[in-house]
Amino acid sequence: MTLRDRISSRLPRLPRIPRRGLWPYLLALGPGLLAASAGNDAGGIATYASAGALYGYGLLWAMVLVTICVGVVQEMSARLGAVTGKGFSDLVRENFSLRATAFILLSLLIANMGIIVSEFVGIAAAAELFGVSRYIAVPISAVLVWLLITRGSYQRVEQIFLTLSLVFLSYIGAAFLAKPDWGAVLYETVQPQITWSTDYLLLLIALIGTTISPYMQLYVQSSVVEKGVTPHEYRYTRFDVFIGTLFAGLVASFIIIATAATLFPSDRPLESATEAAQALRPVAGPYAELLFGIGLLGASLLAAGVLPLATTYMLSEALGIERGVSHSWDEAPVFNMIFTTLVVLGALFALVPGLPLIQVLIGVYVLNGVLLPISLITVMMLVNNRELMGNQVNGRFYNIFAWTITVVVSLLSLVMIGATVLEWFTA
Amino acid sequence: MLFLSTLLDQPVVGKSGEVIGRLEDLIVRMGDELFPPISGLVVRDWRRRFFVPVSHLLAFADDTRLSSLTVDLQPFARRDGEVLLRKDVLDHQLIDITGRRIVRVNDVQLAAVEGVYRVVGVDISPQALLRRLGPRSLAHRIVGRQIIGWADVQYLASAAPVQLRVSYDRLTELHPVDLARIVDALSYREGAEIVAALDDETAAETLEELSDERLAELLEGMDQERAADILEEMDPGAVADALEDLDKEIAEQLLAKMEPEDAADVQLSLSYDEDSAGRIMSTEFVRMPEGATVGDTFAYIQSMEEPPDPLLAVYVVAADNPDRLIGIVRLRNLILNSHDTPLTDLLDDHVPTVHPDDPAEDVARLLAEYNLLAAPVLDDDNRLVAIVTVDDAMAVLLPEIWQRRGSRAFR
Repeated sequence: MTLRDRISSRLPRLPRIPRRGLWPYLLALGPGLLAASAGNDAGGIATYASAGALYGYGLLWAMVLVTICVGVVQEMSARLGAVTGKGFSDLVRENFSLRATAFILLSLLIANMGIIVSEFVGIAAAAELFGVSRYIAVPISAVLVWLLITRGSYQRVEQIFLTLSLVFLSYIGAAFLAKPDWGAVLYETVQPQITWSTDYLLLLIALIGTTISPYMQLYVQSSVVEKGVTPHEYRYTRFDVFIGTLFAGLVASFIIIATAATLFPSDRPLESATEAAQALRPVAGPYAELLFGIGLLGASLLAAGVLPLATTYMLSEALGIERGVSHSWDEAPVFNMIFTTLVVLGALFALVPGLPLIQVLIGVYVLNGVLLPISLITVMMLVNNRELMGNQVNGRFYNIFAWTITVVVSLLSLVMIGATVLEWFTA
Repeated sequence: MLFLSTLLDQPVVGKSGEVIGRLEDLIVRMGDELFPPISGLVVRDWRRRFFVPVSHLLAFADDTRLSSLTVDLQPFARRDGEVLLRKDVLDHQLIDITGRRIVRVNDVQLAAVEGVYRVVGVDISPQALLRRLGPRSLAHRIVGRQIIGWADVQYLASAAPVQLRVSYDRLTELHPVDLARIVDALSYREGAEIVAALDDETAAETLEELSDERLAELLEGMDQERAADILEEMDPGAVADALEDLDKEIAEQLLAKMEPEDAADVQLSLSYDEDSAGRIMSTEFVRMPEGATVGDTFAYIQSMEEPPDPLLAVYVVAADNPDRLIGIVRLRNLILNSHDTPLTDLLDDHVPTVHPDDPAEDVARLLAEYNLLAAPVLDDDNRLVAIVTVDDAMAVLLPEIWQRRGSRAFR
């Protein structure tokens, strides 16, 4: 037997990860799926539920477009991470001026802090649906999230987050309980139509704004880096990003279907995801409410973990300190301290009695709207930088498509901000 | 003290005081010199960027003064061997050799040494960031610096998009464990750059300490001849673990490129399960025939090309059959006895042996319980094939070390 034969006869006995077929794709699932799922948080659910309640299936076609946009945006961030091996703020710091870096990161920090608060508010609301006091549910969730991130390795964190994202399936259940007219659903999905009213357009923009968020880009890039994805393995991660986006888009669509089948035509938008759940009860039965509530709790928990993590990645990269969930407290003290502060502050703010929540949340979304063009353009500039990406820059047609998305989404979110600010002055 | 941040974007003036443009960047030539000299300036005039050779530079004061009246405006283009201080150094990562860590450059210190401006150090203090962030007029009010001399840092050539010849001599001052920690924390490209700069032996020791996933990435990206050279220096068990994480074809090619002798050790290791004694055992140990004396043993060890490290005991085997273990003589007994003492007088009474298929954890426990420094490994036919030392067993008993190492893995 030649040396080569002997090696061959021995190696196959021990494969731990099959490197062929579907396996590597499944093992790569994580960063993209989680980032996209975290976008379906309490605020997102409320927007989707409102879309269904106000316009029936009329906005389903838009979800198709929005999902494609999210996929492109997320793919570019993931590619940046895989090719350069560096997180978003690492790259910003190395390629933009210090003042620009400080501006981008500081505004991201404020916006993310606001969203972290909103996630804990979402947990509180979901807990109260099940009759549990927020003063019990919020601290427990905060401790759970904290323990998971500070004690777990990256794989453990990812596994638990992935399991948690299964709760989104409950929305599909809720949609079926609502007994929609599937023929109409299919027809409206492929048949674009626009109602030319201000409310309709604003809701359309809100739909885009809640689905494409800067923190999702931050998270997907940083976790691709921490997972250790290389350019060589990038095709698996791209699959993860696209599957994740598709999943998130489907979940959002099913939320629209559930409320469209039951609450449409409603005369006013739903203020929160909780309200949507309660409204489902008389029409679709208690199980629909239960499923909606479980979905809300899971979604908020997931986002309450992902957001502080994304924000911590961002800060520690920019400051140049040791980072990563995979390191113990002693090895990454600053990383863990930032993370702890974010979780504690988020949970505390969510428990402040009499906090004008709606106003705070609107402020947060406006800030996110301002940030979205900034982060999109930053990513576009980085991903097209040949010095960083080599031949992995955007292809020509992909680039035209990506720039179109960037410009359109940026303009829309600026319109949204204009409308919101106008409302403040007229009210 | 002169700092890059105070010069950038300030006016560049000619001999008669006219403003030519603003300072965009400083060009530094990396080479064998400890403190790299500035070789030129990049001056920006509106949107045009042009190159000014350092010979035209008079001095850095509040502004940048040139000695010539007219500057021939060569458009600036990047050349190999040149590093731009603002673009490639400022805000980038370096390795702090004495601090054994990765730092980010918040400012660059310059100094005129015998008329030549050179890079002498980097400021890594947070105050330097604040100075650059705030208005220039307030910068001097923020005090505090943390400067690391340029001689104590390792610049990473992958930060610059041109070909560079950088000296990596300073890396040799770092212990492989620290090198591995740094390679793990850097991006793949930077890690590969560091490993490429190390000699085979240091590279092998560094790779042994890396996380499995990073190790597989590096091996796959490396030139195969070089990878094989490094693998030959590594512990066969570690190589076996690494090869299993690789694409099967690449693993086969690497094994085929290794010296047959080293490849055979790796194959042997591969034939045992991960987490078995077979994976942590070492085939490097000293065998002595039954009739030998202490003096013979010393002479033999001294004549060896590469005596085993650690050397904890010698293994006495039957004179007619070197595979049949008679007993063990500890190093201590060898040293304490005269040269003419026969080894058979010094044998340990009770020597527990292990089988290659035994779980590594059981072997580690056995060593701990019997206070042994090493245990011989006997195969199915009771032939002495290898030993397991307490060093290798430690890693099994201290799971947190493994956990940390495995943390980047996909599994």
